Amino acid sequence: MTTTSRWVGTAALAVVLGWAVSGSGVSVAALVQGRQGAAALIEGFLSPDLSREFLGDVAAAVVETVQISLTGLLFAALLGLPLAFLIAGNVQAPRPLRSAARVVAAMLRGVPDLLWALLFVATVGPGAAAGAMALAVHGAGLLAKLCAEQMEAVDPGPVEALRLTGAGRPATAMLAVVPQAAPGLASLLLYQWECNLRTSTVLGFVGAGGIGQELAISLKLFRYDELSTLILAILAIILVVDRASRAVRRRLGATS
Amino acid sequence: MDIHTSDLTVDFAHRRLRAVDGLSLRIAAGEHVALLGPSGAGKSTLLRALLGAVCATGSVRVGGMDPYSAAQRRAVRRATGVIRQGGDLVPGLTARTNAFMGSSPEWTVRDWLTVLCGRVPSRYAVRLGTLAERHGVAESLSAPVRELSGGQRQRVALIRALLPGPRLILADEPTSGLDPVNAAAAVDALCALPGSVTVIVATHDLAVAGRFPRILALRDGRLAHDGATIGAEIYT
Repeated sequence: MTTTSRWVGTAALAVVLGWAVSGSGVSVAALVQGRQGAAALIEGFLSPDLSREFLGDVAAAVVETVQISLTGLLFAALLGLPLAFLIAGNVQAPRPLRSAARVVAAMLRGVPDLLWALLFVATVGPGAAAGAMALAVHGAGLLAKLCAEQMEAVDPGPVEALRLTGAGRPATAMLAVVPQAAPGLASLLLYQWECNLRTSTVLGFVGAGGIGQELAISLKLFRYDELSTLILAILAIILVVDRASRAVRRRLGATS
Repeated sequence: MDIHTSDLTVDFAHRRLRAVDGLSLRIAAGEHVALLGPSGAGKSTLLRALLGAVCATGSVRVGGMDPYSAAQRRAVRRATGVIRQGGDLVPGLTARTNAFMGSSPEWTVRDWLTVLCGRVPSRYAVRLGTLAERHGVAESLSAPVRELSGGQRQRVALIRALLPGPRLILADEPTSGLDPVNAAAAVDALCALPGSVTVIVATHDLAVAGRFPRILALRDGRLAHDGATIGAEIYT
């Protein structure tokens, strides 16, 4: 590459980045204009609401968030794992079933979880059930793809060895594919639980229950002291779940 | 089970390789045969072709059945015990589960429930115990496969092949990676199989092949020799 073309490339990149920044409205002036709001936010954050009554509400919201994330995981696994079996190439499911499972999984994960939450709020009404269903449906699509890839990554030798005994597809999957993929599958499920927990904290903004609902109310009322307490609670549960899940995954011998 | 192939050819188009080239042979029921040849001679591919596991042209009959017919393939495989290089056991499971999973095509729903509970179905327990005792792995049955030595893995693979009572045994390099004592034990076990079982052992080891009454030597996918003895000229 010549020096001139390098300069032209750099200038073009700078123009594109400048165009993106100006289009998004980010500027020092905007930050200066919003300094009063920022000051109020920081002030609220430095004095979290630790009243017994509010802490009780936070605890209830945390419990509901954990319930949403676990329920979402349970139904995501119940729906996603059978799809993963059908998708995994080494399970050799009949071609039409495999194609159908791929399409279903792509549709489920293609719609963002927040949009699923809006759809379920419109269907079953606001609350934790809508959040759990949104996580289940979106998570099923994700798990189907990731678990299928995990199954396809197993050592093909034992799989073929069993197939050559005359074992059928389900038996080969159960006896040769799943035992080899099990640590990886467990690791994926735990990771999905972590993701569910993070997502369920924002699902409440669209009325799908959990701590996000409390966050939305505090934000609307400019109660930054409450917001501070809620964010601290979210960080705490995410840290606890992250640690616990990492410990379990390490025990299972999974690398991720 | 008798074996008959006629003009059997296996091409691996993606590697531009003809692994088995117009092979015609007959093996009588109950014969014990060594399939000798250097690496790449087509031994493993021939064994897989006998089970309909690779795309092939020509004709194959195993016990009168066509392994390339979807309806008969499973019957051929059920009647065959396969021992592969290194055993190809499932690493996450115990030696016991690996040893009896070869019988899975015969399992009833009740057997499956027993297996899922981590136990051996009662109708296989006695035979499994006898075979494990005979091949010296009775003490290791509870151990996970990853804790077994190469020799133990090979013996578990042998039990997996024998447990369903096969009429044909196909062993692909059963002594590969084993020390001389374990290798001799593996060959002894194959030689000791009764005359009701046809045995084909693929090997590149002249000494192992010499233990069998008939040696079929392959070179470049073709039959280079068929007889009781053979010298090292097969490798030159």
